[in-house]
Amino acid sequence: MITPLRFAYADTAAGHTDGSRLAYVPITLRQATHMLTAVGLLDTGSTVNVLPYPLGLQIGLVWDQQMTRVQLTGSLARLPARGVIVSGQVASFPPVDLVFAWTQSSDVPIILGQVNFFMEFDVCFFRSQAAFEINPKGEVR
Amino acid sequence: MSLTELFPAIRMLPRADKLRLMQFLVIDLAQEEGIPLLSADAEYPMWTPLNALDAADTLLQMLHTHQAEP
Repeated sequence: MITPLRFAYADTAAGHTDGSRLAYVPITLRQATHMLTAVGLLDTGSTVNVLPYPLGLQIGLVWDQQMTRVQLTGSLARLPARGVIVSGQVASFPPVDLVFAWTQSSDVPIILGQVNFFMEFDVCFFRSQAAFEINPKGEVR
Repeated sequence: MSLTELFPAIRMLPRADKLRLMQFLVIDLAQEEGIPLLSADAEYPMWTPLNALDAADTLLQMLHTHQAEP
């Protein structure tokens, strides 16, 4: 049994209204011998996870070695993207395989979307309290 | 040219041009006061890959293949 972890919404634009706060979660990504700790945006509207280009390089990914091409939508549609699988760990929860669309964009944050972050973690948003809770799938309080 | 001189010319304009004139004045005033407006000529990023269904299928297949490997 695992107790859900509670996180506060992050202020993304100091001096703006409460609307600028977003749900960013610290996450550790591992690939082969590489490790990177970053924050990912919990984006329930995103069909997929998205990894920005520079962070993919930081965890040792090589673009030309990624053979699976994926077509994104929205502003990312105009840039090529490749499918990659890395290990992702939130806090002290067990690491899970996360599949990302690795985009050539460097302007985008790590986006954690339906495939497959929300398939691996149960997330409860308390927007009125500017907080959210996460626990691994199937783990009931 | 004064406003009084402009009025007759404005009255002669077709309806579509009158609407365009109103739009121009609203945008001009907003810009003078620093009020940000959406522009038809500008591009606004929308990073969320909404309904990227083919990408989702491909990535899920990739994940299942990866997890089935010994």
